[in-house]
Amino acid sequence: METLRNIFDFSDFPRKDVAVFGLFCVFLFIFPLIPHSSFSMATMIQFLMFALYGMGWNTIGGYGGQVDLGKAQFAGIGAYTTAVMLIRWNVPFWVSAPIGMGFAIIWSFVIGYPLFRMRGHYFAIATIATSLVLLDVFQVWDFVGGAQGLEIPLKKMPSFLYLQFRNDAYYYYILLFLFFIGFFYINWFRKSRLGFQLRAIKDNEEVARSLGINAHWCKIKAYAIATSFVAVVGSFHACYNFNIEPEDIMSLDLSILIAMMAMVGGAGSLWGPIIGAAVLVPLKSYLGSWLGGKAGLAGLDLVIYALIIMVIAAFEPRGIWGIVEKARRKRT
Amino acid sequence: MTPILEVQGVTKDFGGLRANNDISFSVQKGELLGLIGPNGAGKSTLFNCVAGVYNVTAGHIFFDGREITNKKPYEIARLGLARTFQIFVASGDLSVLENIMVGSFLRTHSRSVAKQRAEEIIDIMELGDHVDHWVSELPVAAQKRVAMATALATQPKMLLLDEVAAGLNPTEIDGMMALIRQIHYDMGINVMLIEHVMELVMNISHRVIVLDSGNLIAEGKPEEIKQNPEVIKAYLGERFVAQQRREGA
Ligand SMILES: Nc1ncnc2c1ncn2[C@@H]1O[C@H](COP(=O)(O)OP(=O)(O)OP(=O)(O)O)[C@@H](O)[C@H]1O
Ligand SMILES: [Mg+2]
Repeated sequence: METLRNIFDFSDFPRKDVAVFGLFCVFLFIFPLIPHSSFSMATMIQFLMFALYGMGWNTIGGYGGQVDLGKAQFAGIGAYTTAVMLIRWNVPFWVSAPIGMGFAIIWSFVIGYPLFRMRGHYFAIATIATSLVLLDVFQVWDFVGGAQGLEIPLKKMPSFLYLQFRNDAYYYYILLFLFFIGFFYINWFRKSRLGFQLRAIKDNEEVARSLGINAHWCKIKAYAIATSFVAVVGSFHACYNFNIEPEDIMSLDLSILIAMMAMVGGAGSLWGPIIGAAVLVPLKSYLGSWLGGKAGLAGLDLVIYALIIMVIAAFEPRGIWGIVEKARRKRT
Repeated sequence: MTPILEVQGVTKDFGGLRANNDISFSVQKGELLGLIGPNGAGKSTLFNCVAGVYNVTAGHIFFDGREITNKKPYEIARLGLARTFQIFVASGDLSVLENIMVGSFLRTHSRSVAKQRAEEIIDIMELGDHVDHWVSELPVAAQKRVAMATALATQPKMLLLDEVAAGLNPTEIDGMMALIRQIHYDMGINVMLIEHVMELVMNISHRVIVLDSGNLIAEGKPEEIKQNPEVIKAYLGERFVAQQRREGA
């Protein structure tokens, strides 16, 4: 009962925030019903995917303060599990996604144990390294298609079980469903025992330990939670794109985008990853399509991301949401 | 009488520096023990050894009938030994209430129970005006009380306080004294404190032990300690002179 109440408890936010978010949710629900281009639909789907990636990242990276730059490896594990199981054994998405999540969680424990012996920059760099190592493994592993990746065969009929639809709106609503599960889970998580303990660790690890918190174990648990989010979106990605390539789903670019969106929006806040994805995904889409036609400008998008990160780091480490909160505190 | 804390021959080396040399003492249940000594004497180091922050080089530590030597800090906290830090840094992501809830979450998984216990302690520590503030926004005296409140929220049997009166004005020192008495006598939590503020430590301690350059040089009732020539030479001398100078000015 208490848990149920806590899931829907937004009492620590001003009414206005909740109202704005409510309106935004209404928009999300009706978006497929209003006239839209396929480009904007694709962008909205990307937005939901990155919002979910970011919410997951936010548990360990935001609330826990452990800057994780290796999330793509878990997206890869989810995507590959779903693709391989579908191609070889005809397993539906709804079965393979939880299994992929399970594999990803196991892997997160395996690497989390040594990773969280490290702190700060060492930790961040080590997460990059583990993700790149796994990428290399997948590129030479024939069972999962090597560097070529995997192509998911199309079913004759659209299928809810296999997540194959002719119309993107179906993908959109399934993702929206996952988005709300993720969102309400995080709303519960941030005020749960583990949520409090993580925030205490971020604040001051030595003090946290003196309060009976096993910091190492808490981080590993949060890492597994972050991983679950990312793995499910990875599984979804495989079905939505019909094909996966290691260079795409397990790339350093993806890892950095996930962390960047959450940080730009506001690490350690409920709204941060959503704001970050809402701002950066459209930017990324439009930059991508604009730069796509201009051969000489390839890579400019990366320069722009780098600039954004530097500006955020210099002016407000708590991101866009941090700016909003600061402005509010000044007024009162 | 059974001791709640027993320290047997504890030695702590940092490389070539011996910060604690063969220290032995015990704290009886219900006893309020003071620990004094000049800067760099090894007082905080001794607390850190007891609380598990440092592994000892030699010796044994028992708490409430159990050996805790070289256990991890969080294990020791779970056994009921809480502490505050001399330098309290909070980056400010947590409000006062949330900080204290972190402590009470040690004994419960329920958010509402944790909150209720935190609110009880907020009343005792008279932090009611500050619940929604960030710790870094508060004046020093209130920050020290938050640190104590957070430690108390873990429901300890014993509380180690490292210089909670440092930087406080005389009125605040009186308040702190009353608070420590309340924790020790009314709440029944054994207090042991490191303190440079003599009027506080000499007033409320039942017994005082003195460290100097890592050695335990004296132990006794406050009146005895004040008259101990060795203590005066190593520590109190300079303190009293400094105090007289302050009063004279
Ligand atoms: N982590 C450490 N590494 C190396 N040396 C240390 C460490 N901690 C303390 N020391 C040294 O050990 C000695 C004792 O320090 P400690 O902090 O215990 O003194 P203290 O009695 O608490 O002093 P103060 O009254 O100034 O707080 C000092 O010489 C200090 O420099
Ligand atoms: Mg000290």
